[in-house]
Amino acid sequence: MTASGISSDLEFRNWVLQQPEGKTLLRCYQCGRCTAACPIAAIDEAFNPRLFLEKLILADESLAQEQLVWTCLTCEQCEVRCPEHVKIPEILVLAKVRGLTFGNTPQTALDRAKAILSEGRTILVSEPMLKTRDKMGLPQLGNPPVDQLGKILKELGTVEQVESAESIYGGDGDE
Amino acid sequence: MSKSIEYTYFPGCTIPFRLPHFELTMREVLRRLDVELVTDEGHTCCPEPTTFPGVDVEAWFTIGARNLAVSESSSRDTMALCSGCFHTLSIVKHTLQSDEDIRERVNKRLKKVGLQATGKVSVKNILHVLHEDVGLKRIAKEITRPLKGLSIATHYGCHLVRPVEATNMDDAENPRWLEDLITVVGAEPVEYEDKMACCGAPIGPSDEPKSFKITAQKLQKIRDAGADAIVLICPTCYTQLEMQQRKAVEYLDPDFSMPVLYLGEMLALAMGLTDLVMTNSKRYHRVKIQPLLEKLGGDQE
Repeated sequence: MTASGISSDLEFRNWVLQQPEGKTLLRCYQCGRCTAACPIAAIDEAFNPRLFLEKLILADESLAQEQLVWTCLTCEQCEVRCPEHVKIPEILVLAKVRGLTFGNTPQTALDRAKAILSEGRTILVSEPMLKTRDKMGLPQLGNPPVDQLGKILKELGTVEQVESAESIYGGDGDE
Repeated sequence: MSKSIEYTYFPGCTIPFRLPHFELTMREVLRRLDVELVTDEGHTCCPEPTTFPGVDVEAWFTIGARNLAVSESSSRDTMALCSGCFHTLSIVKHTLQSDEDIRERVNKRLKKVGLQATGKVSVKNILHVLHEDVGLKRIAKEITRPLKGLSIATHYGCHLVRPVEATNMDDAENPRWLEDLITVVGAEPVEYEDKMACCGAPIGPSDEPKSFKITAQKLQKIRDAGADAIVLICPTCYTQLEMQQRKAVEYLDPDFSMPVLYLGEMLALAMGLTDLVMTNSKRYHRVKIQPLLEKLGGDQE
């Protein structure tokens, strides 16, 4: 299955193993309980967590370019059922991160990230929203200290990366 | 009389600005239970756990740790009403404590703004507060309008519960704290198949049809069990199961509908705060909750 067309990148694999919980990948013995537990695998056989782990174990970086990794619900049923407690959702997150430079990130995810980095919130707070809180007698919450985010993320270059990232899937995720 | 308990309230983005009736009802319920919420304007977005880590996981840890550092400036426990915020903060806390490498990396960055995160602050969700800190007995004393005759299905949502080593919930596959609260308000908790199944919301941005198929499966199982309503905690699950229910039932039965209550609304109704709940019900509920009151009977409008 993976004999031909495999793009092996040990650097990617090593990076995965260095991340928090990344080493749990090595405990996977391909039993497939993750896939049996997965609600997405149940409605789409192309989505196969066991196969995702196999690719990573074999240092196949092509996983990072598959749109499918973004259809992981992050529900963590797989991890609960995994006999080796492999941190599967966290490991899939690493494949998503790696896919940013290939454009393999939904536009909504990029937009949310931009809002968080520029506003300190996922949503833009409007005047009517503030009025509604006022009317309900709820306290005002002030403005998040966004300047601090810029400073703590400077070394990572997150702001620049997100600004320049493009999504190959366009506005709405329909194919 | 009992002394009040104070928590640092982590507001997040969705509840305060999109679903403020969550905060409104829960604040009132907590006031009756002598719980005070204190906000700290130093907090930012948690950041949300379903897409942001997939963009830059290291930035996710770093921003999450900054929020914890802000919380650590007081001795209060931090409580998030939002399950996404709770999930991010509890995982970052757990990781800071268990992984020395990332703790060092992150703190080097935080130093630039004069902060430090140890991960020692206690991070709680509303079930920790109600079930563990306040206690069922204390809550029972405030129930003036028992919801007798209602069958209610729980939807915990994934991020409130898993992974248990970070969330400190009672069980990953069959938690019971929410059922206990349903019993305390006098209603009947409904058991149904795949209780811990996801609402489907996190993949909305990448595959909307699949997202609603998952939602429809969930609604079908709750319907099959004969529930009158769903009670939940997470604002993202609420948006999926309530605000967008009509899109989801297209995959099930377009005529079907199921009322959804936020936990704060359920408790408020049982504490006799009917007006507080009903005043906002038109604006924030697309499925009418009036039939629930009618089923309870009595004098309520």
